[in-house]
Amino acid sequence: MMQARSLLSVVPVVAMVLAMAGCGPTPPASFRLNMVEAVSPTAEKDSVASDQELTPEQQKQVATILLAMFGTPDEPVCLPEAGLDPAKLRLAAGPVRSDIVGRKNGLFREHCVHCHGITGDGLGPTAAFLNPYPRDYRPGIFKFKSTERADKPTHPDLVRVLNNGIPGTSMPSFALLSPIEVVALVEYVKYLSIRGETELALMRQFFELDEEDKGRLSETREFLIAEVLEPIAAKWTTAADAVIEVPAMPANLDLAASIEKGRELFYGDKANCVKCHGVTSLGDGQANDYDDWSKNIVKIDTKLDGIATGDADAKERQWAAEFRQVLAGDALKPRTIPPRNLRQGIYRGGRRPVDLYYRIHAGINGAPMPAAKGTVAPEDIWHIINYVRSLPYGLDGELGADRSVAVRPASAPGLASREEK
Amino acid sequence: MSTVTAPVTTDHGHAPAVNPHPVLTFLSTYVFSKDHKVIGLQFLFSTLVWFLIGGLLALAVRWQVAWPWSDVPVLGKLFAQEGGQMSPEFYTMLFTMHATVMVFLVIIPILAGAFGNFLIPLMIGADDMAFPTLNMLSYWFMWPAFITFGASFFVEGGAAAGGWTSYPTLSTNVNASPGSGMGQTLWLLGLTFVGVSSMLGSVNYMTTIILMRAPGMTMFRLPMTIWAMFITAILQAFALPVLTAVGFMQLADRLFATGFFSPEGNIINNAVAGPGGGQPLLWQHLFWFYSHPAVYIMILPAMGMVSDILTCFARKPLFGYRPMVYSIAGIAGLGFIVWGHHMFMSGMNPALGITFMVSTMMIALPSAVKTFNWLGTVWGGKIEFTASMLFALSFVSMFIIGGLSGIFMAATPVDIFIHDTYFIVAHFHYVLFASTAMGVWAAIYFWFPKMFGRTMNEFWGKTHFFLTFIFLNGTFFTMHILGAVGFPRRLADAYHYETFHHLQPMNAFMTWCAIGMVGSQIIFAVNFFWSMFYGPVAGRNPWNANGLEWTAPSPPGHGNFDYQPVVYRGPYEYSPPGMDTDHLMQTDPPNPASDAAAKETHSQQRAKEVHRPKAPGGR
Amino acid sequence: MKRLGGMFWAFLFLAVPILGVATFAVAPSINVWLPKDISEHGSQIDSLFYFILVLTGVVFVATELVLFWSMWKYDAAARGDEKATYIHGSHTLEVVWTIIPAVVLLFLAIYQMNTWANVKMRRPDMPPTVEVVGRQFEWRLRYPGRDGLLGTPDDIHIVNDLCLPVDEDVLVQLKSMDVLHSFFLPNLRIKQDAVPGMKIPVWFKGTETGSTDIVCAELCGWGHYKMKGRVTFLTRPEFDAWLARMEAKQEATHEEVASR
Repeated sequence: MMQARSLLSVVPVVAMVLAMAGCGPTPPASFRLNMVEAVSPTAEKDSVASDQELTPEQQKQVATILLAMFGTPDEPVCLPEAGLDPAKLRLAAGPVRSDIVGRKNGLFREHCVHCHGITGDGLGPTAAFLNPYPRDYRPGIFKFKSTERADKPTHPDLVRVLNNGIPGTSMPSFALLSPIEVVALVEYVKYLSIRGETELALMRQFFELDEEDKGRLSETREFLIAEVLEPIAAKWTTAADAVIEVPAMPANLDLAASIEKGRELFYGDKANCVKCHGVTSLGDGQANDYDDWSKNIVKIDTKLDGIATGDADAKERQWAAEFRQVLAGDALKPRTIPPRNLRQGIYRGGRRPVDLYYRIHAGINGAPMPAAKGTVAPEDIWHIINYVRSLPYGLDGELGADRSVAVRPASAPGLASREEK
Repeated sequence: MSTVTAPVTTDHGHAPAVNPHPVLTFLSTYVFSKDHKVIGLQFLFSTLVWFLIGGLLALAVRWQVAWPWSDVPVLGKLFAQEGGQMSPEFYTMLFTMHATVMVFLVIIPILAGAFGNFLIPLMIGADDMAFPTLNMLSYWFMWPAFITFGASFFVEGGAAAGGWTSYPTLSTNVNASPGSGMGQTLWLLGLTFVGVSSMLGSVNYMTTIILMRAPGMTMFRLPMTIWAMFITAILQAFALPVLTAVGFMQLADRLFATGFFSPEGNIINNAVAGPGGGQPLLWQHLFWFYSHPAVYIMILPAMGMVSDILTCFARKPLFGYRPMVYSIAGIAGLGFIVWGHHMFMSGMNPALGITFMVSTMMIALPSAVKTFNWLGTVWGGKIEFTASMLFALSFVSMFIIGGLSGIFMAATPVDIFIHDTYFIVAHFHYVLFASTAMGVWAAIYFWFPKMFGRTMNEFWGKTHFFLTFIFLNGTFFTMHILGAVGFPRRLADAYHYETFHHLQPMNAFMTWCAIGMVGSQIIFAVNFFWSMFYGPVAGRNPWNANGLEWTAPSPPGHGNFDYQPVVYRGPYEYSPPGMDTDHLMQTDPPNPASDAAAKETHSQQRAKEVHRPKAPGGR
Repeated sequence: MKRLGGMFWAFLFLAVPILGVATFAVAPSINVWLPKDISEHGSQIDSLFYFILVLTGVVFVATELVLFWSMWKYDAAARGDEKATYIHGSHTLEVVWTIIPAVVLLFLAIYQMNTWANVKMRRPDMPPTVEVVGRQFEWRLRYPGRDGLLGTPDDIHIVNDLCLPVDEDVLVQLKSMDVLHSFFLPNLRIKQDAVPGMKIPVWFKGTETGSTDIVCAELCGWGHYKMKGRVTFLTRPEFDAWLARMEAKQEATHEEVASR
């Protein structure tokens, strides 16, 4: 009995020691490797196979190169060829703290990390619970901009996104930050995007290797910077050249007539808006497509399902199972992208007529919204815009005000998760 | 001194031949026991463990408030990718679960479950509760609650994160917040289990107190602890069914797509959020209809116990016994008509802001009366500064602060500014922690000898008191002025507002105090467990107190008393004049000299103040 | 020795009223006090706050001093062989300390009814100046356009940046798109929960130009802390000019030079 009693008094001591073991500072934040890409380093995601996967040594090489070219979340590296401003990066990077002058650092960690992730991969802790998912910057695709479809956004485009937020999503407005802070964050987003695209390019370069490269990338300045980095950075610096030319809205426009014409075009064959946006404009037309980020995962999913049900050998199945594990940790469950409900009066990329012009003219990069450029004449786009802007007010007659603004049917899956597979 | 002239019966009043005890195994003695003392200790140990968990959750909350987005100790490992900074939804979960654990798994069960169970039969002279099996069930119903709340931390989305008040539409919708998924469902289930446990207990306490008092123990000879437990039990019986019902309504909204709380056309996170036809305010009304009486459930037993402890260590009768009883009843009764004061800003009809203001102002009155009576009890006493007494005195001192701060929020126009600020947080921490928890510690130090047969170490007890007292005031008093600035509750990072930008150093100070406060409890924990085995052996009545429980052995055996106690007087006969002893226990046989002195004193006083004939023989 | 112990505890408890009063006395000078009031009705609320502060302060000091005094004077170590006073209560005292607080509390309640009615019940008869819709996690504002009506195509939509004319009655129509929020303007002593499914009027008048915070004061999810807005009072001409600028921006058919 005495033994038991004295043992009992040891318990609190042991408990405290164990608790202390959890103490100690957390290691500094680090960028994640794009594991989905590392397992399937090809742009053709529906033809991935086990022999493409990067070996651990190759993954390590990519990580080392990226470390040298871009640094860490606490200490960003800014090569001149990247075309970024290091002072702004330093303001945005690092843990949240103030410097001696009282200026805040760590803006990205303070405002963006928990959704966009430390790597800008849209995999922050909150991401899985948001609808739509936060942006993954790594493919370098941005939806709401003033440039042609395949081009990068301009600096003012990104500033506008930060200032207005994206209505209808969880991206809030940061207009109440100071202009310096907004610009620093924009710079850091570009930095993460350039880094992400560089990572993709490096990983895909392994296919271009010869026998004599022995599975290692060249680490020469000429290769890494001139061949890989500069083309990516150049697209950002030349974005301003790709701004869409917006013709002036016709003067002396009869608004009612324009809306009528716009309606005709909306339901017509050329623009064919109703195919996706629905005859009711509630976004209930064809709605089984994916955005580019989800599409990749869907293609991989299909391929892996094929392996599981087909007559693949054990090695393939093993690889497929491991890949599924990677997806569970490093990818969000794909969701179909619903076409916009135009009767809500919520315009994600901005509600100005010129914003709507950009969307219709160039479509939305990364989303199924097609470009009307070439199919619909510019002044006709203005008519469509006037019609669309009238929709929330039910001014087109019989369809409208009494319909509910349902976006997704209640039976659709609620929260997506990385674990659910 | 407990010789008794009443006839001796068998220990628990039943003839052994008729109802022989079944053979008692280890399980039925220590685990599934029906003995109220074992059940009381089971409640005590379980709630103290949850007290630690709730306290650690509070430290995590305080860390974020003081140093937002910094590397959190220990928990930072969960956010290693981001360098240890917690995510905002994690913060909302932390304060939700801190409050939930403290309210439902600590304070309510420790007061009613631990002390109610242990003390009620002992103090009224019964051998056990009226329904021992029901009593055992009321403890074991807490375990599903422990498991569901505990498990909720590990499900997808984490534990509930909608505040302990769980308002719709945030809590009713899976899409509204990560914690509004499985975590919220488990939260509601856990709440139901706690409710059932409390309801079972309340039925038991009411019946036991009404029916099983020892001979001579009239209602107005009951110690204040029992009066408080009795009225608390009534409160629980009337208020809990409403909480259980509204919990089911929210579960139904979440699982069966009913629309009790879902307004038309509600869209959250881009998904349709419910069928419509309901009202978010309905939850608030029903929830607060229970939760306001709940806050009285969370303080009345402590008030009762403090009365008993103060009188014992001041060696002085309770000042104003009947007013004290009527005040408890008044608090309980009025407690049912003030719930709207939690909803002044909610959007309910503003005319209710007037009605509830009046009733809320009036409920301050019985609390004030009680405070004055405690002061009257201590005044003119002969005070022994034991650890228990220090905690009891601090209950009074801190309750004055907590009660007075309540007047600010009862004032509806002022509440416009201070609602949902740290002023409110200060108020309820003063009444719940600085008052009730201090009362709980007073009770633990006081009745520990009765529970375990040994006393706790006085020096370490006083040290524990001193450190806790200093640190808690540092942590919580500062919250009053934070609230005066309008510093809002539940914000993961308040410093990006110009109004609150400069308040970070003050919050850092408060967090250091909070860390000190939780750290000081190590002293208590060590003292508690060490004394259980190695403390000095206590006799039956180490404090020379008057209650019936002090006539039983320490700890009491099965059946509690050696002989059937018979009661001859109230519980507060300390320092009776004209006698050598400084206390007369309730079971001490009638002593003509002392009783005459007592009666004279009573009737002399009354003759001076009230000019009407009195019935002979006092009460 | 024991007497020292008793004195120690008595003085510890004396620290409560001393430090308590000191905290409130010092707070305004370290800028931890009621924020600057720029509203018309705010002074009524602030004076009620001060009135209650003084009242409760007096009671606080008095009761805590009584407690201290009891601990000091009636310490067992100081009492020696004396017995404690054997008294069970005092009918007179009970009556006195029941009636007086009751009267004071009732007076306090009645005294405040008018202020409450002014802020929450006596709604001015005017069309809404702006509609404020709380949404996870921003304040969506909608001003009636040139036609003066809310809910028509010429409405002006803004996020988080609430501008209002100074020295004029303002009526806000408060709604929520999704969950509960609360529209809290600390410098105007205004707070009202935004309830989904309800349209709640909030009225006030700003008395000074300048910008102050809008804070969300009801837990609305993980971004509750992020729901920062700004309310700016402008003179009427400035306000009209600002609104016109916002309208022009909203109707832009070509890109201007990047600016906010």
